[in-house]
Amino acid sequence: MSVHVASIGMGRYGKRPEGLIDLAVEASTLALEGIGRKPVDLLVVGTMFAQGAQGREPLLPHLAGRLGLESSSGFRVDSSSGTGGMAVHAAVLALESGRFDRALVVGAEKMTNRPTADNTKDLSSSLHPSEAAAGATMPALAAIATQRYIERFQLTPAICDAATVHARAMAASNPSAHFQKAVTVEEVAASRPVALPLRLLHCSAISDGATALVLERGEGPATVLGLGQGFDTLRLVDRKDLYSFAATRRAAQRAYDSAGITPKTIDVAEVHDAFSPFAMVHIEDLGICGPGEAPTWFERGWVRPDGRVPVNPSGGVIGRGHPVGASGVAEVAEVALQLRGEAGRHATAKRPRVGLAQAMSGIGSHNYVTIMGSTGR
Amino acid sequence: MNLRPDDLELSRCSACQAAFLPSDGPCPRCGGLPRASLTVPSTGTVLASTVVVYPATGWESPHRLALVEVSEGVRVLAIVEGDLPSRGSKMNVRADGATYRARIAPEGARGD
Repeated sequence: MSVHVASIGMGRYGKRPEGLIDLAVEASTLALEGIGRKPVDLLVVGTMFAQGAQGREPLLPHLAGRLGLESSSGFRVDSSSGTGGMAVHAAVLALESGRFDRALVVGAEKMTNRPTADNTKDLSSSLHPSEAAAGATMPALAAIATQRYIERFQLTPAICDAATVHARAMAASNPSAHFQKAVTVEEVAASRPVALPLRLLHCSAISDGATALVLERGEGPATVLGLGQGFDTLRLVDRKDLYSFAATRRAAQRAYDSAGITPKTIDVAEVHDAFSPFAMVHIEDLGICGPGEAPTWFERGWVRPDGRVPVNPSGGVIGRGHPVGASGVAEVAEVALQLRGEAGRHATAKRPRVGLAQAMSGIGSHNYVTIMGSTGR
Repeated sequence: MNLRPDDLELSRCSACQAAFLPSDGPCPRCGGLPRASLTVPSTGTVLASTVVVYPATGWESPHRLALVEVSEGVRVLAIVEGDLPSRGSKMNVRADGATYRARIAPEGARGD
């Protein structure tokens, strides 16, 4: 049974004055208007912190009420920064089961109203307790993984700058992105250290935002062709190494197998660059290029909208901003926009036929790959 | 078991013989549960290190971390005591409650 993306509601990401519920309502309303307010019988909400003005908020029932969806079914998912990917997969599986006809999937997060150190602490709750107990943070472990990647393929830290420059150049054409201005290599290299080799502009921003999708049974320009999830050991020291994420490789293999395609078929990819060099690691793990080849792809512009395989035409997590529960939905939304020919100024040079979205939880502890393509009509 | 100050306790999987850092989970290589304890020299080699300029609530800045490889390829993420070690430095690692601490090893320290 096929499921396709029928409508996309992309709220503006950034430092927003609204609270969590209003951000979620805004994106949901855009998505519901896109299908002429046809009835929805399933609501899936993804949020990591569910952080409202007064602390944790009952986002699922509150949103159902605000949208007048009390007669639908619903559930809330949390998979740290991969939450949005999980929310989309949960909805697709529910629709494929035949129990539901049309689902509203919403990823939302409110983060900018809290001190950075509190966000850092809560984000590190996605790490293994023994590593969080060492005072490890997401940027610290990403820095260590990046050092291993640089050493493994005899690269230089400048690859991180190139990845950020690409992301910010793409975001400058995306009206929903947190960052609307491109940056130069010099600006990235001069930004303040966070956990070297990672500097401020190599790290995703703390953002507010929400994205919603309407998924329905049937076929269209953005039909779900394949899904895959994959785990890796939560404790980083138990992995063979850190220059590649097994969780992505496993998720991708399952997604390619279920779609019956190979990585060569992918025309556009949206990957989870919570730290800019991870965009390189991800396209290698997804098989879009070979191990160690990604820096060349970025350097030669093969990931640009007119390149071999456009990567993160939305700006990715680095350019779009990172409201953690929303990012995975935004990744699927961007690929759907490209496939439906609705990406506007950030459209790829050639309209893609098959696209892939990847979401990552923690430092690659459980990842989600969604493949979509044009079928039917 | 009494560890000498320059020893580090690891686990060895009874099924596949892989060595790994003690944990509450199964063997990270084969998934087997039974394991034996083994002690190895506490000196290891730094694979990567970084300064956490923006630590989480409850930690002081700057905070230093190192990924250290000890015997049999086992890796430890450790809080660094002292200056940030460079790649290839030798460090002594010791368990400290739920976590590990490392400091630059004196010249001629016992290790692999």
